[in-house]
Amino acid sequence: MTHRFLSHASLTALVAELVAAKTRVIAPVRAQDDPEQVDYRPIQKLEDVALGVRLTRGSLKEFFLPPTEVLLYYKQTKEGVDIREVPTEAPPQVILGSTPCDAAALEVVDKVMGWDYRDELWFGRRAASTIVSLLCTAMDSTCFCTATGLSPDSFRGSDALLVPVEDGYLAHVITPKGEALLQKYAEADECMKASAEVAQGEARQKVEKNLAAIPPEFSAWLAANFDNPIWKTIALRCHGCGACAGVCPTCHCFDIVDEHDTADEGVRRRNWDSCQTSKFTLHASGHNPRQSQSERFRQRIQHKFSIYPSRFAEILCTGCGRCTRACPGGMDLPKLLDELMTLAKSEATGSEPKGSSL
Amino acid sequence: MKELQDLARKLLDEGTVKVVIGYEEGARGVRPAFITDAKQAGKLIFDKRCVQNLAAYLNPRRKQVAQLGTPAVVVKGCDARAVAGLIREKQIERDKVVIIAVRCGGVLENSETDSELTSETVSVRCGGCDVREPKLHDYLLGELPPAPPVNNRRVEQIAALEKLSTAERWNFWTEQLSRCIRCHACREACPMCFCVQCTAEKTQPQWIDPSATPRANRAWQTMRVLHQAGRCVDCLECERACPEHIPLGLLARYVADSVERRFDYKACEDPAVAAPMGAYKTDDDEEFIR
Repeated sequence: MTHRFLSHASLTALVAELVAAKTRVIAPVRAQDDPEQVDYRPIQKLEDVALGVRLTRGSLKEFFLPPTEVLLYYKQTKEGVDIREVPTEAPPQVILGSTPCDAAALEVVDKVMGWDYRDELWFGRRAASTIVSLLCTAMDSTCFCTATGLSPDSFRGSDALLVPVEDGYLAHVITPKGEALLQKYAEADECMKASAEVAQGEARQKVEKNLAAIPPEFSAWLAANFDNPIWKTIALRCHGCGACAGVCPTCHCFDIVDEHDTADEGVRRRNWDSCQTSKFTLHASGHNPRQSQSERFRQRIQHKFSIYPSRFAEILCTGCGRCTRACPGGMDLPKLLDELMTLAKSEATGSEPKGSSL
Repeated sequence: MKELQDLARKLLDEGTVKVVIGYEEGARGVRPAFITDAKQAGKLIFDKRCVQNLAAYLNPRRKQVAQLGTPAVVVKGCDARAVAGLIREKQIERDKVVIIAVRCGGVLENSETDSELTSETVSVRCGGCDVREPKLHDYLLGELPPAPPVNNRRVEQIAALEKLSTAERWNFWTEQLSRCIRCHACREACPMCFCVQCTAEKTQPQWIDPSATPRANRAWQTMRVLHQAGRCVDCLECERACPEHIPLGLLARYVADSVERRFDYKACEDPAVAAPMGAYKTDDDEEFIR
């Protein structure tokens, strides 16, 4: 791995070069509807970017799995049905200044996208993207990346990681894609590396206090406690609105629908879906195996922290905290995980759990 | 506060209710609380951060709450209008819910902050509040606080919208609704959306395409807001839930204002007063029928 130095001027020039070459550059910018908030959006120049100001409302998911996208166009003819599939190659894009948790989320989701069926649209966009993350310093009390095995300076999923140093950024160049983008810049010196290491250490400390690491045995405890009465009361305040799934960088469920434009032709699309709504599991017979929000919320926790790890050996959560920030009902995932882990631990050691405040 | 906690304790102890739905301190501001054990009644609080409309939890679609048994619910005057709406529309029975109303001097826009109530920080829905002392209640608690400062943002937004031409207003809403991802969080969080099957999900016929395209988004939000006309209580739960931050409250308020002008009706606290959607009057203005 190499370390390079980018001055503010060189980063400005890099963005200008990419935009001139028609590469889509996506970075955090101030939200149009609320300048206090930040969203990932395509940018034209570095001045538009709000680097490291605060965590973005949405994740990077929409640039790899859009909320709605066409899979194919169909047209009924006398001879049969003409089908035109959409191309799976994507135009090049560079993500600049993403939080390391959002970059890592893409790698976590890669596993299911390449599992029993290889999702060419997802991997087409993944192959066309270069991700330059930025050391996260804007964490708040909802963040718990360190509990999920990540950190504010994680390399996972990023092609390069920028760390602010005097007059610019030190770039940890992680992958060949990152090297291709940043090779023209000078190597960083030892002084810059030392200063970056201090910043990274401070960032890690800030988030570590929010939640203890999720232990590997937690997954098995959840599986064994599928029928634990705690699920009946854990999600009382949950409206089942699914806002959590919309902002989650790792929730990836989708629904496929055919929509007619005329009687003979139309499109097949896939749209984001969420296990938090009742329709998600509604059978054609009218039966719904997940009758109430208690069961739907249990599914959310079980899928992220037990089912996904049993299949792919890692949890489906990066600790970004967005579900907690977005929830209109005040559901609080790090607090809830803390309570569940405490319960699991007290069962393992035979000690009395302290009074629950769920 | 003590008055509220003592009442909750009494109701739970004597078995009048099985759960008290109120507010408690969360890790990040105030959040809804579900007190089923009288010993936990001390957690209940009420202050200017209590923005949530807890009537949403009486909506029969919240099965996880319904299964706890008879509820008592803490409401502000504005929230009491939603309780009245649910009674009016036969979703709950008046004698199967204990209404604990609190006198309210306005709430903050953001429940996670604890700033002074000013014309900047107060919720837009508190402007012109005429229900600081709720009428629909079994118990009425607290002293009557002074009227909240007025946040004119909503009134200004509506005035600005009314100045636009129809085409400009169409473009404004098309632009705002283009962000909709059709997650339907607005509907799920709404106290007044209780349909077992929503038109958005009917497939035979498919009234509204399920995909988040500009055409379908507009159709969905238009359908929803028209169905809410005269029923919406302006609690802004939809706007708080929207992960795309679309000003859904503005859309609903715009329609509510039209209903008030046309039918001289505002969502109110009296379940016996019929809402325009469910009533017919021979003197209704019919100038739009041509």
